[in-house]
Amino acid sequence: MLSELASAREREVASHAELARVTRLTAMGAMTASIAHEVNQPLAAIVTNSNAAIRWLANATPDLDEARAALKRIANDGHRASEVIGSIRALFKKDRSAATRFSLNDLVLEVLALVRNEMRTQDVSVRTELAPELPAVSGDRVQLQLVVVNLIVNAVEAMGAIPPDARHLVIRSSIAEPDRVLVAVEDTGAGIDPEDADRIFDAFYTTKSQGMGMGLAICRSIVEAHGGRLSVSPRKPGGSIFHLALPSAAMSPA
Amino acid sequence: MTEKSSDPIVFVIDDDASVREALKSLFRSVGLQVAVFASGPEFLRTELPDAPSCLVLDVRLPGLSGLDFQTELERSDIHVPIIFMTGHGDIPMTVRAIKAGALEFLTKPFRDQDMLDAVQLALERDRARRETETAVSRLRASFGTLTPREQEVMTLVTAGLMNKQIAAELGVSEITVKVHRGHVTRKMRARSLADLVRMADVLGIRKGGQA
Repeated sequence: MLSELASAREREVASHAELARVTRLTAMGAMTASIAHEVNQPLAAIVTNSNAAIRWLANATPDLDEARAALKRIANDGHRASEVIGSIRALFKKDRSAATRFSLNDLVLEVLALVRNEMRTQDVSVRTELAPELPAVSGDRVQLQLVVVNLIVNAVEAMGAIPPDARHLVIRSSIAEPDRVLVAVEDTGAGIDPEDADRIFDAFYTTKSQGMGMGLAICRSIVEAHGGRLSVSPRKPGGSIFHLALPSAAMSPA
Repeated sequence: MTEKSSDPIVFVIDDDASVREALKSLFRSVGLQVAVFASGPEFLRTELPDAPSCLVLDVRLPGLSGLDFQTELERSDIHVPIIFMTGHGDIPMTVRAIKAGALEFLTKPFRDQDMLDAVQLALERDRARRETETAVSRLRASFGTLTPREQEVMTLVTAGLMNKQIAAELGVSEITVKVHRGHVTRKMRARSLADLVRMADVLGIRKGGQA
């Protein structure tokens, strides 16, 4: 019995590691790691400078010059941090030259093909309910792919703690008249605490022990840059539904 | 404040100038000597002072990663205690670092007290290590002043043989053994037989003991 538990645990750890690897392999994973590193440098400098200044001032003879120098460095580091954030936002500004027309149905199926193995390893059952003749959207295909990957990876991770036969992922696409296209990613996981529902899209907010909290914030930035909306609602009896809404492209279905 | 060349010193290696400057200020604010470097090679090129020290090192350095650098240090026979920092830590990296002998692994931004506590511990460890190294060198030097016969006697005495047995083993008289023993005790500056046995352990010459 113990050895069964042990090997089940091993498989769980391995598949978590695999899922984490997939996340890391996606550009977003690598990007968020870089971003976290870049922002944490000036933050660390600011915190350390502040503490140093406090100590200089707490000396028997407070060293005002040292404290002043530390404060000047803090101001510079603060500006540097804001520049890093600025360059992240610039990354996601809609670049007209990279815009193409495509169907979200195709994109969803492509992403599912990519993560098919992980679904199997994690015993997640996947169902799609994709509206036929879904109008095309116009945008950066790679960025929107990243959004869908992120939503699916999150959904799978959310179901990690529930029994394998209860792990169901459903992806639906539909038309919202008059000019919007909707994709919903639904999981049967633990769900999101209503208290956290507002905050999950905030940068640096995460409930995962290993997360950096950048994924959903970046997703939302990408979606909004495309003139769309990303939101979440609870699924009864348990789980979450992420709603991705995008404006349909001016012309007829792709 | 006059600096003794043996005042403890903290070495910081981080490719980010802001972090280097901030840490320099922090350590100096508590009275520690500090030297900062932008890269591993820069540190290795510098002649290090003969003083207790420790290394505060970012895991992510351009070129050689912090963890590879740790291996490099060991190969260069540098045993300075290491404290790692990272702007983005993941658990496997932490585990690797600690298993490879890092003293501590701090994620940026870290609490200043956590860093200072780690440095304090590191410097104590390094002080102890240096004392041990000095003591071992001294013992080796003393052992080197023993004649071959005296070295034999020391090995046999610390193996637990009685003078009579040693005399038989070496084919000399008991009195000769006692004389040699006296010389050994004096030259090794041993205060007791137990002391001599401990020295023999450190030197790795004790038969039947832990080499």
